[in-house]
Amino acid sequence: MIELKATGINKSFYAPERFQVLNNISFEITRGEFISITGKSGCGKSTLLYILSTMDTDYEGTLELGGELVTGKGQRELAAFRNARLGFVFQFHYLLPDFTCLNNVMIPGLRLGKLSRKEVEHNAYEKLKLLGVGDQALKRASRISGGQQQRVAIARALINNPDIIMGDEPTGNLDTRNTEIVFEMLNKLSLEEQKTIITVTHDKDFASRSNRIIEMSDGAIINQQKR
Amino acid sequence: MNLQINSEIAFTYLVARKKQTLVASLGVMFGISMYIFMNSLISGTNEYFEKMTLSSTPHIRLYKDHETSNSAMLDQSIGDSTVNLIVNPRLIKSDDRLINPVGLVQFIRSVSSVTAASPQVTATVICSNGTVQSNGVVSGIDIIEQDKMFDITSTMIAGSVKDLYINPNGIIIGSVMAHNLNINLEDDVTVTASNGSVKVLHVVGIFQTTIKNVDQTKCYSNVSVVQQLLKKDRGYITDIYINIKDHNEANVVASSIAKVTGYNVETWQSANEQAIAARTIRDTIANSVVVTILLVAGFGIYNILNMMIYEKIKEIAILKATGFAGQHVISIFIIQALLIGMIGVVAGLGFGWLVSKTVSMIYIGKGNLEYLPVSFYAKHYVQGSAFGILTAFFAGYIPAVRASDVDPVQIIRG
Repeated sequence: MIELKATGINKSFYAPERFQVLNNISFEITRGEFISITGKSGCGKSTLLYILSTMDTDYEGTLELGGELVTGKGQRELAAFRNARLGFVFQFHYLLPDFTCLNNVMIPGLRLGKLSRKEVEHNAYEKLKLLGVGDQALKRASRISGGQQQRVAIARALINNPDIIMGDEPTGNLDTRNTEIVFEMLNKLSLEEQKTIITVTHDKDFASRSNRIIEMSDGAIINQQKR
Repeated sequence: MNLQINSEIAFTYLVARKKQTLVASLGVMFGISMYIFMNSLISGTNEYFEKMTLSSTPHIRLYKDHETSNSAMLDQSIGDSTVNLIVNPRLIKSDDRLINPVGLVQFIRSVSSVTAASPQVTATVICSNGTVQSNGVVSGIDIIEQDKMFDITSTMIAGSVKDLYINPNGIIIGSVMAHNLNINLEDDVTVTASNGSVKVLHVVGIFQTTIKNVDQTKCYSNVSVVQQLLKKDRGYITDIYINIKDHNEANVVASSIAKVTGYNVETWQSANEQAIAARTIRDTIANSVVVTILLVAGFGIYNILNMMIYEKIKEIAILKATGFAGQHVISIFIIQALLIGMIGVVAGLGFGWLVSKTVSMIYIGKGNLEYLPVSFYAKHYVQGSAFGILTAFFAGYIPAVRASDVDPVQIIRG
């Protein structure tokens, strides 16, 4: 089943002068794939990821996620879509420092509002335990180590059981041990729960262990390597 | 829309920044308390001056004016086949008596909003004790009814108003006149009217209003005494003073009484326009001070929320990335502003009351004013709360909209 379909995506920056970052990009991703997008700095891989994430709507071409056309949707619809269907992990954890880890994980769940507060809390605990940071749940997000913070961020991405998880250098700021944990976690999600994982990474080792590497250069896909 | 999570985030932010919350709330608090205090003081002052005015002016005065000659009589005798005009019409000197005063008073008392009606007749006199003289104005009144209106009893420093009722040849004089003529209670005073008639009256009471002009000239006596001084009959009444339940309704009641009786009316407002003007000026001053303070409080909230949004721009971006739409972000910050407003309002109500109470205990002791006049009305507290919340809302709205416009891609990518 096709989870993501991008067709003819073009994007240009206009300041300071016109510069085409993405040049007619088309590709498909099937459900359960673990994709790494690699390339040199400035090749447009992050820009592509943010378009795929629906946060950036300023592009040409069309994007379908989970069989649904998302190009052209309004900001409010897209926010609801991201909330229910997408999970994000960033290079920096971006947790809300004033909240406990547990609350950080719960917030997108409460926003979705499908489950009661109790159920969301239970699920959040489960996710934190799954990522091995269950014992940190009641600590403030600003009081735990970097590796733990990143794992809490992954738990947050998982709380609404999204089909697609996107990561912008999810291990970029972690040591080898934590990188290994995060990779194993994502890999397990793709294998066991058929989650589609799309990450942008500089880490050759990390990329080589994923299902497919999409290599980009100067705004175009130059190579797709399936493992 | 799931408001709960928005308010939870708003609340957490508030608690996490206790100092900022406190400062912003203090701004609102001072705004509200000043609003309450200023309004309490101004309305207290207004009431004081109104009371002062109404202690010497009736709500409505009914009297008869001289009329300008008109062509009514000409129309009657010549007929209206020609246009009858009077060139250079003059005022007709007529008797200024009210016809059938007893019936008039009875009618006026039957009007539902009227609380007191007192027939009057006034004479300009010279009061003398031996060779010492002093000008005065003696009002012939029904003392019991007049006391109901002006609470003369409260100003009496010697004797009582009832003594005048009992003693047909009694007189009540002001304290300054009593001092000038060296007259004490139970002394006699010689009263001479402008037409030459003389009466010796017995002083049964002395009052002190602390308004020097009144204490120097005003005297009260019975209606019949003044009628005799003026050499008029027992039916001679020139004015009827009327008090009504709500003195702010004077204009309405006055015009309806004027229509029915056909006499002229004067309300206390038109008799004391300078007092009404002074009141408007006081209100304007108070309102501009209050608006300024509320504005400053509003800018306080605006500033602090703006700063907070600047600090939290990454968090806002991440909230938007994880599915918060613009409206959710707006509601988070507006809830935050409203919470600040509410804390400020609660504190402001208490502080406003405290300041009002303290000020109301400041001793003045000039004239008949003992303490600063401060009123305590629930109305001011309710209005203050409403303005506080409103200010907080608008002060929060602008930064909230700014926060909702944050582009998560720009912020997260740095």
